[in-house]
Amino acid sequence: MTETSLYVIQQLINGLTIGSTYALIAIGYTMVYGIIGMINFAHGEIYMIGSYITFIVIAGLLGMGFVSLPIILIIALIIAVITASTYGWTIERVAYRPLRGSNRLIPLISAIGMSIFLQNYVVLSQSSRDVALPPQITGGWTFGDPSVFEVSFSYMQLLIWVATVVVMVLLTLFISRSRMGRACRACSEDLGMTNLLGIETNRIIALTFIVGAALAAIAGLLLGLYYGVVNPFIGFIAGLKAFTAAVLGGIGSIPGAMLGGLILGVTEAMTSAFFPSEYKDVVSFGLLVLILLFRPSGILGKPEVEKV
Amino acid sequence: MGLLTMKRFTKKLLTLSSAICLATAVNAVQADTLKIGLAGPATGPVAQYGDMQKIGVMAAIDDINSAGGINGMQLEGVIYDDACDPKQAVAVANKIVNDGVMHVVGHLCSSSTEPASDIYDEEGVLMITAASTSPSITEKGYQMIFRTIGLDSLQGTLAAEYILGDVKPKTVAIIHDKQQYGEGLATTVKGALEKNGVEAVMFEGVTAGDKDFSALIAKLKRNNVDFVYYGGYHPELGLILRQSREKGFDAQFMGPEGVVNSDLAKIAGAASEGVLATAPKSFDQNPVNEARVAAIKAKGEDPTGPFVFTAYAAIELMKNAIEKTGDTDPEAMAKYIRANPLETAIGTVAYDEKGDLTASTFQVYTLHQDGSKTPVK
Repeated sequence: MTETSLYVIQQLINGLTIGSTYALIAIGYTMVYGIIGMINFAHGEIYMIGSYITFIVIAGLLGMGFVSLPIILIIALIIAVITASTYGWTIERVAYRPLRGSNRLIPLISAIGMSIFLQNYVVLSQSSRDVALPPQITGGWTFGDPSVFEVSFSYMQLLIWVATVVVMVLLTLFISRSRMGRACRACSEDLGMTNLLGIETNRIIALTFIVGAALAAIAGLLLGLYYGVVNPFIGFIAGLKAFTAAVLGGIGSIPGAMLGGLILGVTEAMTSAFFPSEYKDVVSFGLLVLILLFRPSGILGKPEVEKV
Repeated sequence: MGLLTMKRFTKKLLTLSSAICLATAVNAVQADTLKIGLAGPATGPVAQYGDMQKIGVMAAIDDINSAGGINGMQLEGVIYDDACDPKQAVAVANKIVNDGVMHVVGHLCSSSTEPASDIYDEEGVLMITAASTSPSITEKGYQMIFRTIGLDSLQGTLAAEYILGDVKPKTVAIIHDKQQYGEGLATTVKGALEKNGVEAVMFEGVTAGDKDFSALIAKLKRNNVDFVYYGGYHPELGLILRQSREKGFDAQFMGPEGVVNSDLAKIAGAASEGVLATAPKSFDQNPVNEARVAAIKAKGEDPTGPFVFTAYAAIELMKNAIEKTGDTDPEAMAKYIRANPLETAIGTVAYDEKGDLTASTFQVYTLHQDGSKTPVK
């Protein structure tokens, strides 16, 4: 293979990896929007908390003398998902449910307040410095001629891909096959009507927050392990990127969030690959503007129908 | 009954009057205390640099106070947190002025110092920064602004000299974080290298706070870069080093004093071994400071940070100026400091017209994965 094609493959791998995690976080935005038409700006913070919990659990287990990495990761995953889901549920209960039915702007402001609260709460309890974890999953494959260009694909990147695919498949099955999933779809069609038909919409909305938070926690675990660094401010940028991914794919659409995440990740990597890295965000967000100009509801989004 | 009430009343009166006496006494003490504003990040991602400044200033204040103060006047350090945020720095500067504090050590990040120094100069507050190295701070003809640290440009020139003379790399890339400090340094290094016929194959910015540098690293690898100069701070460089190691990219990295921090080793682990950096000379190794280092260690604090003794020297300058001018008037002090060199914890401090040090205070170091550093030149 030529040097350029190897280079493109490498950047594609990098882009898909980062895109997968954008997609995982984007799901949380899109599910909440799909059902109650609100942007949960505190979602990025849930991802950050998921990362912190992972770090604390892994450091704790390593300190207690656990050596089996898979067991450590599974325990960390379970604790991170449970904790983050609790946060997701609590946020909905405390900051959004009492405001339901009011002007659309009010829960949005409440969400921004929640985001600032959570960020500063973590700053106070964990300090604002970068916390680092030594690499846990090391190694990987390399291919291509080292004298031309060597492509590297690490086990950690593979884990991110596999985990994302598994989670996406499970989520799709859950939404399309289970009773709860059907109720979710019904709520996103028409919340008031679903309520009249005897479905407890409050429970479904709470469930949406829990599922979104769980996915954000999984992203927090994966990215925490991948980068090995966490600080209280990572939620903001990650949340912004994931929100962009959700809008790009069509907010409210779950496959759209997945697609949007991957497109955003690959665009960023390819821009950094062939233009100065400074243009990474210029190109990604320029693309967002273009897509919204021609498809205002995003790539896979349904055009907004005025509900009567 | 009447007697008892009377007694109680007297008692109350006594308590009250003693309380008033006490209050007056406190006031009297306050009048003999000079407040020194300590502006810098106490929170935020670069808070540890604020700690270094605090350790130095507090050590100097303790030394002065325990020796009887300046002409009998005690010093008190008051901490103001700007979180290294230019907007907050302006708010902090206004608060310092409103609090009546006339002597400031700080700010720390160049991007905070620059907007804040405007306010201090206008309000006649004496400001000495122990850490800001951006050249533009002293370029506006301020009369009240000084620093106890060399300029960015000097640091960049030193780095370029070392790259050309000792490293002699084949392919150089220069990366920066698009912030005033990092980009300023990166530009200086680029210019100095170009003057000597060495072209950087890449000159690119990354976004501070970014976590993923895989695309950048793949590009560095593709260009066969064997030397990277990074202008910025340790969180991003730490991640670049860590991800480079994972991707099998093993160029020599070099950075400014913004990356000299034990957190770099925590983030990058083994990948931080052997990274080069320019930083202020290790004043804690200077025999002059032996007793001061011991005193700081006795308090359980770390005397090795690059800004500890530059901050210490800032207080020394203020103390000397007050003693020599016989007053705490900041404008007279500024005039005195500008005109008279002083022997301090960081060597002889002499200023040029702009308020910059005339001597360089930087040195090249090799960083190690345990967070320590050794001088190489």
